[in-house]
Amino acid sequence: MSFDFDYLLTQWPALLDGLWMTLQVSALSILLSLLIGVLGAGIKLFRLPGLTQLVALYVELIRNTPILVQLFFIFYGLPAVGLKLSLYWSGVLCLSLWAGAYQIENLRGGLATVDKGLREAGAALSLSSRQFFRLIAIPIAFRVSLPAMLNTAISLLKNSAYLQTIGLAELTFVAVDRIATDFRAIEMFTAICVIYLALVAVLALLAGRLEAHLQRPFQQ
Amino acid sequence: MNTLMSVRGLRKHFGDADVIKGVDLDIHEGEVVVVIGPSGSGKSTLIRCLNNLEPATAGDIVLSGSNGGRDSLARLRDEVGMVFQDYTLFPHLSILRNMTLAPMKLRGLARAEAEAQAMKLLERVGLAHKAHAYPAELSGGQQQRVAIVRALAMQPRLMLFDEPTSALDPETVNEVLQVMKELAAEGTTMVVVTHEMGFAREVADRVIFFDGGRIVECAPPAQLFSAPCEERTRQFLTHVLK
Ligand SMILES: Nc1ncnc2c1ncn2[C@@H]1O[C@H](COP(=O)(O)OP(=O)(O)OP(=O)(O)O)[C@@H](O)[C@H]1O
Ligand SMILES: [Mg+2]
Repeated sequence: MSFDFDYLLTQWPALLDGLWMTLQVSALSILLSLLIGVLGAGIKLFRLPGLTQLVALYVELIRNTPILVQLFFIFYGLPAVGLKLSLYWSGVLCLSLWAGAYQIENLRGGLATVDKGLREAGAALSLSSRQFFRLIAIPIAFRVSLPAMLNTAISLLKNSAYLQTIGLAELTFVAVDRIATDFRAIEMFTAICVIYLALVAVLALLAGRLEAHLQRPFQQ
Repeated sequence: MNTLMSVRGLRKHFGDADVIKGVDLDIHEGEVVVVIGPSGSGKSTLIRCLNNLEPATAGDIVLSGSNGGRDSLARLRDEVGMVFQDYTLFPHLSILRNMTLAPMKLRGLARAEAEAQAMKLLERVGLAHKAHAYPAELSGGQQQRVAIVRALAMQPRLMLFDEPTSALDPETVNEVLQVMKELAAEGTTMVVVTHEMGFAREVADRVIFFDGGRIVECAPPAQLFSAPCEERTRQFLTHVLK
């Protein structure tokens, strides 16, 4: 059996649908994971009582269990306690929570580079600690952590393939689904590999642009 | 002369360490007070207490026009400007944004207003052409001049300087001292911790010799430098002036 290009052309619309779903779920989850990252890093920085321990527990839980187990927990486990989410939102929740834990650690690394001198300069100008966090610390931490945060975002994009296990019709699901009926494994997997590679390349390109823009203040 | 700030019985402990051991001081409007003293004597701690960056353990710091009540500590922060040894400009913001941030967020100035004020201040220190540069693109002396006018943009009633030239290359020390001299000449009330004895001699109205957490001696520079009353002052001066 040889590589059949024409077959791929006939499947192109289905693959595009899958790609669109992968893009939606990933983009939304990347945004939510960043939000979780800022909140979690802020809670840890300000050492908010109770919440700090909760965030630490969350990070440990996510980092030390398989993402597939986390996904099954959300999709099959939560309904048992009355929380039934759609396929789509189960996927978004899983990816956001997973990447959020890493974004918290990424941002914490960046926040650690914001030194006491800057904090005191802010205080001397009467900035409140919340204003300082929002206007000074987080923007600096974002710039410092950008490469690490990009890595997490790329991993999130790749991990979106796990969502096929619960039946969300994203890119990998479409490929596996078609292979089950058409047995064109080599064509399908080649196609989605190329698509994932292209997605990662685009993401890296965008982040590179952003980094070049954000890094200007730190270049001499 | 009107008293701008009055300090009474100021004490500061860090755990067991007794760093400020009772300071009484009146700072008059338009006055330049220079604080000198050996390393570790508590000079930084003293002036950091003056804007409540370091909360005092005991004692009162009262700005004129304030009743000394609870909110007077917030007012202290708000009405006292401070310049640190290591410039501390916000690295991710342009010089102009460094200047306008606090006036816009805390004084409620509109952007146009804040920028006009910032440009005027930058012009005064010869750095208007750097308004859109970033801190890393400026020399140490230039950054320190920006730090000074950034504090001035909040229109403080009192300016504190903690060794503002100690981190600078010798060639750039004078450009910063020059700005401070001009401020003094315009009647800005200042408290300056410095090792620049020439500046103290020329600009100070009063020089405080600070040692062991106490004001050992406080006098006009002519008197303190040529005829100190205290033996410890004399020893310190022969050490630093030789
Ligand atoms: N946050 C702190 N915690 C504990 N001890 C401190 C703290 N800040 C200052 N000290 C101590 O207080 C003493 C006075 O320090 P301070 O920085 O005020 O001295 P200084 O006169 O400014 O010295 P220098 O000329 O070296 O700047 C020092 O012994 C220092 O170790
Ligand atoms: Mg000091």
